[in-house]
Amino acid sequence: MKRTSEDGQSKLPDNTALKQQQLPAYRLQLSATGVLSCFFATGVFCLGMGIILILSAKSIKEIEIKYTKICGNCAKLREDATNFDKECTCSIPFYLSETMQGNVYMYYKLYGFYQNLYRYILSRSNSQLVGTDLKDVGNCAPFSKSHDGTPIAPCGAIANSIFNDTIILSYKLNSSIPIKVPMLRSGITWWTDKYVKFQNPSSINLSSAFAGTTKPPCWAKPVYELDGEDPGNNGFLNDDFIVWMRTAAFPTFKKLYRRLNRIQYFIEGLPAGNYSFNITYNFPVTRFKGEKSVVLSTLTWSGGSSLFLGLVYTVTGAVTWLASFSMMAVHLTLKDRKVLFIQQ
Amino acid sequence: MTWEMPEKWARAGAPPSWSSKKPSWGTEEERRARANDREYNEKFQYASNCIKTSKYNILTFLPVNLFEQFQEVANTYFLFLLILQLIPQVSSLSWFTTIVPLVLVLAITAVKDATDDYFRHKSDNQVNNRQSQVLINGSLQQEQWMNVCVGDIIKLENNQFVAVREGHCPSRETNMKVRQAIPVTSELGDISRLAKFDGEVVCEPPNNKLDRFSGTLYWKESKFPLSNQNTLLRGCVLRNTEWCFGLVVFAGPDTKLMQNSGRTKFKRTSIDRLMNTLVLWIFGFLVCMGVILAIGNAIWEHEVGTRFQAYLPWDEAVDSAFFSGFLSFWSYIIILNTVVPISLYVSVEVIRLGHSYFINWDKKMFCVKRRTPAEARTTTLNEELGQVEYVFSDKTGTLTQNIMVFNKCSISGRSYGDVFDVLGHKAELGERPEPVDFSFNPLADKKFLFWDPTLLEAVKMGDPHTHEFFRLLSLCHTVMSEEKNEGELYYKAQSPDEGALVTAARNFGFVFRSRTPKTITVYEMGIAVTYQLLAILDFNNIRKRMSVIVRNPEGRIRLYCKGADTILLDRLHPSTQELLSTTTDHLNEYAGEGLRTLVLAYKDLDEEYYGEWAQRRLQASLAQDSREDRLASVYEEVESDMVLLGATAIEDKLQQGVPETIALLTLANIKIWVLTGDKQETAVNIGYSCKMLTDDMTEVFVVTGHTVLEVREELRAHGCISPSQENGALSGSVFQAHALEADMELEFLETACACKAVICCRVTPLQKAQVVELVKKHKKAVTLAIGDGANDVSMIKTAHIGVGISGQEGIQAVLASDYSFSQFKFLQRLLLVHGRWSYLRMCKFLCYFFYKNFAFTMVHFWFGFFCGFSAQVGHPQPLLACVRDGLCPCMEYPKLYEPGQLNLLFNKREFFICIAQGIYTSVLMFFIPYGVFAEATRDDGTQLADYQSFAVTVATSLVIVVSVSGWTPATGHFFIWGSLAVYFAILFAMHSNGLFGMFPNQFRFVGESLWLLRELGR
Repeated sequence: MKRTSEDGQSKLPDNTALKQQQLPAYRLQLSATGVLSCFFATGVFCLGMGIILILSAKSIKEIEIKYTKICGNCAKLREDATNFDKECTCSIPFYLSETMQGNVYMYYKLYGFYQNLYRYILSRSNSQLVGTDLKDVGNCAPFSKSHDGTPIAPCGAIANSIFNDTIILSYKLNSSIPIKVPMLRSGITWWTDKYVKFQNPSSINLSSAFAGTTKPPCWAKPVYELDGEDPGNNGFLNDDFIVWMRTAAFPTFKKLYRRLNRIQYFIEGLPAGNYSFNITYNFPVTRFKGEKSVVLSTLTWSGGSSLFLGLVYTVTGAVTWLASFSMMAVHLTLKDRKVLFIQQ
Repeated sequence: MTWEMPEKWARAGAPPSWSSKKPSWGTEEERRARANDREYNEKFQYASNCIKTSKYNILTFLPVNLFEQFQEVANTYFLFLLILQLIPQVSSLSWFTTIVPLVLVLAITAVKDATDDYFRHKSDNQVNNRQSQVLINGSLQQEQWMNVCVGDIIKLENNQFVAVREGHCPSRETNMKVRQAIPVTSELGDISRLAKFDGEVVCEPPNNKLDRFSGTLYWKESKFPLSNQNTLLRGCVLRNTEWCFGLVVFAGPDTKLMQNSGRTKFKRTSIDRLMNTLVLWIFGFLVCMGVILAIGNAIWEHEVGTRFQAYLPWDEAVDSAFFSGFLSFWSYIIILNTVVPISLYVSVEVIRLGHSYFINWDKKMFCVKRRTPAEARTTTLNEELGQVEYVFSDKTGTLTQNIMVFNKCSISGRSYGDVFDVLGHKAELGERPEPVDFSFNPLADKKFLFWDPTLLEAVKMGDPHTHEFFRLLSLCHTVMSEEKNEGELYYKAQSPDEGALVTAARNFGFVFRSRTPKTITVYEMGIAVTYQLLAILDFNNIRKRMSVIVRNPEGRIRLYCKGADTILLDRLHPSTQELLSTTTDHLNEYAGEGLRTLVLAYKDLDEEYYGEWAQRRLQASLAQDSREDRLASVYEEVESDMVLLGATAIEDKLQQGVPETIALLTLANIKIWVLTGDKQETAVNIGYSCKMLTDDMTEVFVVTGHTVLEVREELRAHGCISPSQENGALSGSVFQAHALEADMELEFLETACACKAVICCRVTPLQKAQVVELVKKHKKAVTLAIGDGANDVSMIKTAHIGVGISGQEGIQAVLASDYSFSQFKFLQRLLLVHGRWSYLRMCKFLCYFFYKNFAFTMVHFWFGFFCGFSAQVGHPQPLLACVRDGLCPCMEYPKLYEPGQLNLLFNKREFFICIAQGIYTSVLMFFIPYGVFAEATRDDGTQLADYQSFAVTVATSLVIVVSVSGWTPATGHFFIWGSLAVYFAILFAMHSNGLFGMFPNQFRFVGESLWLLRELGR
């Protein structure tokens, strides 16, 4: 291993901490009191966190309405792809028994829709979505080009399968005239998505920017006409589109659709009363045995968390306490003997 | 003339690869080399003297090295994965996750190989370009080594390396061997005659047997036999002669040095073997997971996937759910490959290499006197050092220094050598008075120390017995003297005992000055006396004595004899009975102190008797058959009725720290067996002096039986008595032979293992190996053999771990060993510190490694159930660094060594615990985030349960949990926080906006880490 050297002294190993394995070492000196108090503190923290989280999760008001079966006619209609141009609407009345205080968010929720499939997740072109290269559709198979070879914008399976139902919430103030609940369609995306990952190609107007591309096969309108009301909400910067493009981790997921605009009657939130969802049913789910629902929910400081996290904290805290109590029992019974041992 | 084994041999480990131009060795049946006739010799196309130990050149490096590297299973496995990933339907990870580690491993190995090869090139060049003097065209010319051919005559000078292997040559041990030219060539003294020399050597083909050579010299129509005695080997150094000429017989790769250099033996540790089994199991587990997920995928595709085709049509190549399942099997093999820790082998090797360096670097194992550091010659056995149960040790040179010191003597009934203080009491160590002053004698050896002044007084007084005593010591030996300057005498002795005795005589005024084949010159009290040397009756193991017959200047013939007491005391003249009994008392006293004793005696012979005896001796030596026996009986005849002169006692000093080391190793439950060729008494004494045997051992049980039956009886008897564990066992010589060859192996082993200390005496090298093999086979324990001499090589090679003491007796033991250092006491550090640390670290590492791999990989498995088994990963592959720890040495607490012996820290049970922990962690790390994420939204209402957030969260929590659970005291902090910091740094870098801007398609996770930090910060 070592080559022979003429000078014997040079064979003397260096006296460094590393080579002599004398790097400073620190060994925890665990004392019973230290460990026990540590356990108690952890237990207190976990229990506290758990209770707070459970309480805050309980304070959330949420209603969910599954409308696949309610709108059975529409569902059946959509099962046949040839009916794509026939409009189908469906109205779902419901009664809100309690006021939903504060900000109210409207979600759509899909059951059994696999946004996490390996090939599905990859089937998008970030360089296209960021507006740098509209023609880059390399990763978008199987939805990269139309039959005549024009690149699709936005390309890919994710974009193609966009959720395209329209949901409008109306409030029946005096049990007669329904008024449309004002909803915001902005502010429903991640900041980085809207400002970093998605950009429109630069041009005089959007339609010319997207010239030379075609719409995805399932889409009714091209990407630059997604929002007829707000011209700024078109192209790749359409909020609904961006939300959809952030693929869900699990086959059951909900995505933010609209936020309550707290004006007029709705300054406090959604008052109790009769409401109805007016849904333009476009998105077929029965083909793959999926389901759709619409969710109204409030939030707390910790976001829209479920009971689960709180329960985990509580259980952890409880177990920690149990452990620390049993350790303390052991410690107290053995205390005398241990002292003797040390003195030996 | 002498040659010395070169230190160069130590690094002959790299297997040389030769260019294949020369005829292969297998076909060469004999070798012919004619002196001074290059044309004739060229016909045979013998290998040139240009040696090439390097493997590559610039052009061949890349292909050859890559080819070699892909012969490793691990690399091929990586390559296989890489190929799988290049199939688009199967690929589930980006290809660079495999190619980066593969290229890294290949590159590191290639750089290492390249550096090694560079040094080999360098040393080849150096060797090939050395100068040597070759006789060409009647004159000596300087020639580079590589140009020396078979059949050339070359001149060698004192202290020069031998360039090639040479034939007949005038030339001479502790590594020095006597080599002589065959007498007929002695007339070729000068160049002109040599140039005309046209002898032809016919000899055996090249081989690797260092101690054998047979050939014939054909010259002037006669044949002369050539043996090993007449050859010089490449790599040796010429000593004790000004020059010599030699004929080149083997050159370059054919030389014995090079033929021996391919020595690579491969020892595996028990952890290695366990690891191989476990990897196979894990591989099976991987295939199972792959199959489960593939079936899941096929079912999912059939039930759901077919209907989902509007959103995600099947790949063109996929035509059925079944085929999709088949592909997803391979995809999952790629994703889950991290569970088969092929990188394990690389990591394990790296850790072991590191430990080997720690051993090499250890200052506490550096011998200042000899300037040799400890050396881990094998890098693959380190953790086994922490599991040793049996240590087999040689005695001489290992436990003892093999430096003999003349310590005491008994001259005609009076004992000298005890140290007395001023008051006349026996002095204790440390309060010794001044040593005896030898300044009266200008030829005295300054290093010789003796504390009893009465002996010198006796010499000065002219006591005839004392004079005769030292005269015998100065005459009866085979020592060679060398006198570089007037008065500067150096003795070259074949055994250190002899050297010690001659040196003692020298200091007491009987200076052996020089010898010729016929005379010995001794300076007796300053006066030169030349004795005629009539006969040497040499020493062998059966005779256990040697004698010389000399004629002094007055013409009196006397036989001087020295030998083992057991033999010599029977051959004394009956008249010396009284002296005999006092001397025997002294002998017992000396032996009790662990000294090696010899008895000295002389006998006067009259001229007539001698003449007649010499005649008989001559006849015996010319006898064709049973020459040895005849000579022995002739010798026996003359060596009788001798007059006792006295006895010598030589101390073979124990090495420093031997008793302490043995005590410590015993406390650590390591059983030490001493296997020695020495006689029983000496062995027992050494046993006591190095605290192997102690007084509180209730009985020391010596097997003395001579026949199979007797030995069996004794073993049986003790088999019943001795489970008390409180006795030492000793086995005698005859016993050994019986115990090992007959069917008594097991009985011997049981008895020996029931004993606290075992000393086997009178064992041959082969028996040493047999004993080791016996324990290895039946006890299933890790054995370590330690020794220093050529006779220990077989034992060192047999044991799991061989340790060589680089000391007095050459380097054969070191060459055969796995670890080498220069003092026995370093064994405690090697085992209790390095061994234990290596074992602990390796076990911790393995447990952690399996835990980590399972924790990380199983998350993918769980995620498979939520993503339609589509081979989506549960988290992006993070990078994780892991080197850490710091342990207390177990020198203070030898008991801490035991878990290693019992193999407690890493076995199948531990493995399953680690795996279970890993799976548990993966379950928690997957399902808690799942539960939390499934319903959660951010506080601005936006979606949280997206794939990217989930993946990053799972990965991060895994890294944190796994890093922290791998926590060990000490430097652990540094590495944990370090690896976490590195992880976060990489995470932020990879997910940053900037990178996304540059490569939007590769870095998709933009914004995740900022979000994560924000979430963590809450």
